[in-house]
Amino acid sequence: MYRRLSYKRALLQYCAFGLTLCVSASAGLAEDGDFLSEEELYGEHYEPAIVVRDPLESVNRVTFKFNDFIYMNVVKHIANGYQKVAPDPVERGASNFFKNLGYPVRLVGNLLQGRMKGAWIETERFAVNTTLGIVGVWPAADRFERMQPIEPEDMGQAFGVWGIGEGPYLVLPLLGPSNVRDLVGFVGDRAVNPLKKPYSVIDDSGVQTAFGVTEFVTKSPTLMGIYTQMKEGALDPYSSMKNGYSQRRHSMIEE
Amino acid sequence: MKYLSMIAYVALFALVAVLPARADESAKLAATMEATLDIMYLDDYKDYTSAQRQDAVREVLESNYDLQIIIRRAMARNWNVLTADEQIQVGNLIDQLIVKTFVEGMEGQNRPIIRCGDVVEVTSKRVEIPVVISFPDSDTFNVLYRFGRLKAGWQIYDIVAEDISIVSNYRQQFDDHFRKKNGAQLIEKLEKLLKEEKLDVSTIKL
Repeated sequence: MYRRLSYKRALLQYCAFGLTLCVSASAGLAEDGDFLSEEELYGEHYEPAIVVRDPLESVNRVTFKFNDFIYMNVVKHIANGYQKVAPDPVERGASNFFKNLGYPVRLVGNLLQGRMKGAWIETERFAVNTTLGIVGVWPAADRFERMQPIEPEDMGQAFGVWGIGEGPYLVLPLLGPSNVRDLVGFVGDRAVNPLKKPYSVIDDSGVQTAFGVTEFVTKSPTLMGIYTQMKEGALDPYSSMKNGYSQRRHSMIEE
Repeated sequence: MKYLSMIAYVALFALVAVLPARADESAKLAATMEATLDIMYLDDYKDYTSAQRQDAVREVLESNYDLQIIIRRAMARNWNVLTADEQIQVGNLIDQLIVKTFVEGMEGQNRPIIRCGDVVEVTSKRVEIPVVISFPDSDTFNVLYRFGRLKAGWQIYDIVAEDISIVSNYRQQFDDHFRKKNGAQLIEKLEKLLKEEKLDVSTIKL
């Protein structure tokens, strides 16, 4: 009998405690400790800013200005013209075609990181898109649940996963933001790309150039879309691009 | 025993009442986003100028969230470099710039579809809401809204679009600015930006 009473009392206390907690929270009567303090909200040590090494800033800014001039005076018009001339299905088909041809780059990127599942999905997608999707124009693999698109991997990411530092930030002429690690990765990516020199499967340099130009034109609207988004509303487009690129690459490597 | 059961039920009810409080943040965010998109796309607003749209969007945003929190977080240590007057001016100018960028960015685009996910509890004071923004026949963007629990309620303290934190991005820009320049020059720069015409990329889809 005594034990039953004791049990009842404990249960009563437990419920009362729970009730107090719940009611105080629901009524917004929580203690100060339940809210973010000024320090937690505005203090930087809770969320350290991303540090981008930029010893070549003066050179980079000149290259950035040059790129900006080309983007806004040449690429923008190419992108606008292409979007006006090409019907949406053609645009999508061309974009899918070139994306499909980038398979070797993504495959190597996955393999170098030991992502066997990713490598397999990329291989399956390439096989299905190339056959059922008529040389990749139609993304037939999207129809299969287990072949949904995954984040593209590249050599720069693989180097990052291996622990290689990014090195100084770079702005490459025409190509835009990068860093030393990603530049080396970019050279490696080109080596395994079947459409790019030095190991292109296309012998004829005229055809090679035509492929390169077409690929650039099909990508130009997306590039300009991203570029203008970053530029609009930026206090300093150079800094915004530098930070945006670095954050994105950090995130891709962490994933 | 009846007394005990009653307390247990009341406690359970109170707990159930608390849980949707966080889930409601997702609904509130979705409603706010849809309300701003209404201003951009509904016929009721078709005669609005860009400036009028910006005012209407700002009104919707400010009635639900405090943009100054994001602005001050982006300014970080540079906030204390400004005088009190400059802080007010900079806060207002960046507020206007954010809204201007949103309105001008949406002009000419098709109305996107917004899907707010479930609230993810990071800590008892921080939650995140993943949102997928899909533009018809175009790209899809993943955006993460970060909320902090303040005495004024849950407030957005950062927006992460495609893995890029808006606070971190602006913080870099402010840091780079204050390495060589001061608050007055920042105000001058912001005023100049607000007067700038929209970039002529009207036909480029996102």
